[in-house]
Amino acid sequence: MTAQSESVLPATLRDRWLYSPHYANVNGWRMHYIDEGKGDPVVLLHGNPTWGFLYRDMIGPLVNSGRRVIVPDMIGFGLSEKPTREQAHCLDGHIANLTALMRQLDLKRITLVCHDWGGPTGLSFAMSNPARVRALTIMSTWAWPTPPAEFHTRVFPWRMMHAPLVGPYLLGNHGALAGRGVYLSVVDRERFARAAQAAYETVLPDPATRLLTWVWPRWIPLDENARAFKRFKWLEQKLSSSKLPTLIIWGREDEVFDAATFGGRFKRLLPHAEGPHLVTGRHFLQEDSAPEIAGLITSFLDRLDVNGGQQ
Amino acid sequence: MTEVAPIKTPSLEGKRLSFALAEDRLAHYPEFRDFFVRTFDLDRKGLSEPGYVRAPSGNAYALIFIGRSGTPFPSGLEIYAVVDAFEPIDGDVLDRDLWSILRWMIGGVGVPWTVEDFDRTGRLYRVPAAPSG
Repeated sequence: MTAQSESVLPATLRDRWLYSPHYANVNGWRMHYIDEGKGDPVVLLHGNPTWGFLYRDMIGPLVNSGRRVIVPDMIGFGLSEKPTREQAHCLDGHIANLTALMRQLDLKRITLVCHDWGGPTGLSFAMSNPARVRALTIMSTWAWPTPPAEFHTRVFPWRMMHAPLVGPYLLGNHGALAGRGVYLSVVDRERFARAAQAAYETVLPDPATRLLTWVWPRWIPLDENARAFKRFKWLEQKLSSSKLPTLIIWGREDEVFDAATFGGRFKRLLPHAEGPHLVTGRHFLQEDSAPEIAGLITSFLDRLDVNGGQQ
Repeated sequence: MTEVAPIKTPSLEGKRLSFALAEDRLAHYPEFRDFFVRTFDLDRKGLSEPGYVRAPSGNAYALIFIGRSGTPFPSGLEIYAVVDAFEPIDGDVLDRDLWSILRWMIGGVGVPWTVEDFDRTGRLYRVPAAPSG
C-alpha cells in the first residue's frame, strides 16, 4: 500500500476533496481509497458511475463522531485503475477486490455503507466475512435476482443505453451516465451541475475510462439465465438469515429504486433493520442529503455502542 | 438518418482503417449478434473478411468481427472508418456516421428494439446526432 500527499485532481476540484490518496494492490488492480480518522471503521461504498467524491460531505461528520472512515474507489471508477476490456469485470471479481482491501487493512468491526453496486459487492463481502462486519447501512440498491425494477426491463431508456455497440457509443463516446445520467438522478440539479458534476466527469475523461459505466448495467440480472443470477440468489438467501444490525435509508424522490418497493423489500428481508428513513434524494441521495444521512448513521452507531452492539 | 447499407469491399489503396468503436459483448442481447450474422452471412464467411457499410457522409466503414473461444461467433465487433491514409478524421462526421450505423443496426435487429426508442434515448442524453423530437 502506498500513500501520496498530492492530489491528482485538477485544481478546481481540490478544495472539494481534501483527502490524501492511498493506493493498494487488490486482486491484481491498483485501488485508490482514502483513510481518515480513528475508531471503528466505517466503509463507504459507491456504485455506477460515481466514486468516493459522492461521500465528500459525509466523511467529516463521521470522522468527527470518532470513527475511521475508509472510502475505496471501485476498480474501474474514480481514481482507481480502469481496465479497458469488458471481460476484466465481473461481480465476483469486484467482491474479491473489496475483500482484498478489507483484509490488507485488517479491518474489523466494520460498518459497511452500501449504495448502488456498492450494495451487491459490499453485502456479498459482509455475508462471506461476517467476523469482520459489525453493521450495515443500505441505500438505493438491491440484493435479489431478477428483476431489480420494472425500469430495468424496459428498452427505453435502460436496455437501449447499454445495448451492444450503443453502450460504448452513448456511455463511452458521449459519457452519458457520468454526466447527464447522474444529473437526472438528483433533486437539486442546479446545485449539482454547479458544484459536483465535473468531479464525476473529470475522472472518466475518455471513452476507454468509462467502460464500467455500460458493463455494470449488463450485470443486472433480467432473467434466470443471467450471469449474476445465482450470486444474487445466494446473496438474498444469506441476507434473509443475517442478524447484523442494519440501517435502511432511502431517497424520497427515487423513481428507479423507489422507496416503497426497494426499501420495503429490504425491510422484509431484514425485519430487525431500522428504517427505511426517507431523506430528500433521488438515486444519488448523498448529493442532496449528505449531512442528514451522516447524522442517521452516527446516531445509529452511537446507539449500537450504548447497547453493546445490539440493535 | 438511416442511409446505411452494406457494400462490397472498397478499394483500400491509399487508405487506412481509423478505429471508431468497439463492442466486446455483441451477444449481450443475442438478437444483435444474430443481426450481423444474418446481414453479413457470417455463418458461411466466418473470419474470412470484414463486413463493409456505406454511411451518410459517403465514408465506408469496416466491421471487423471478433472471435472468442467458448463464445458463439462473432463475440465482438470493431468498427473502423476507411479514410485517406494521412488525413485526420472529422470527429463530427464520425459521430453522425456512427449514430446512423447504430440506428440502421437497431432497425435491423427489430422489435422490441425500435429506432424511435433509439432516437428518444439519444435525445434524453443529448447526443448531438440524435434527431429532435
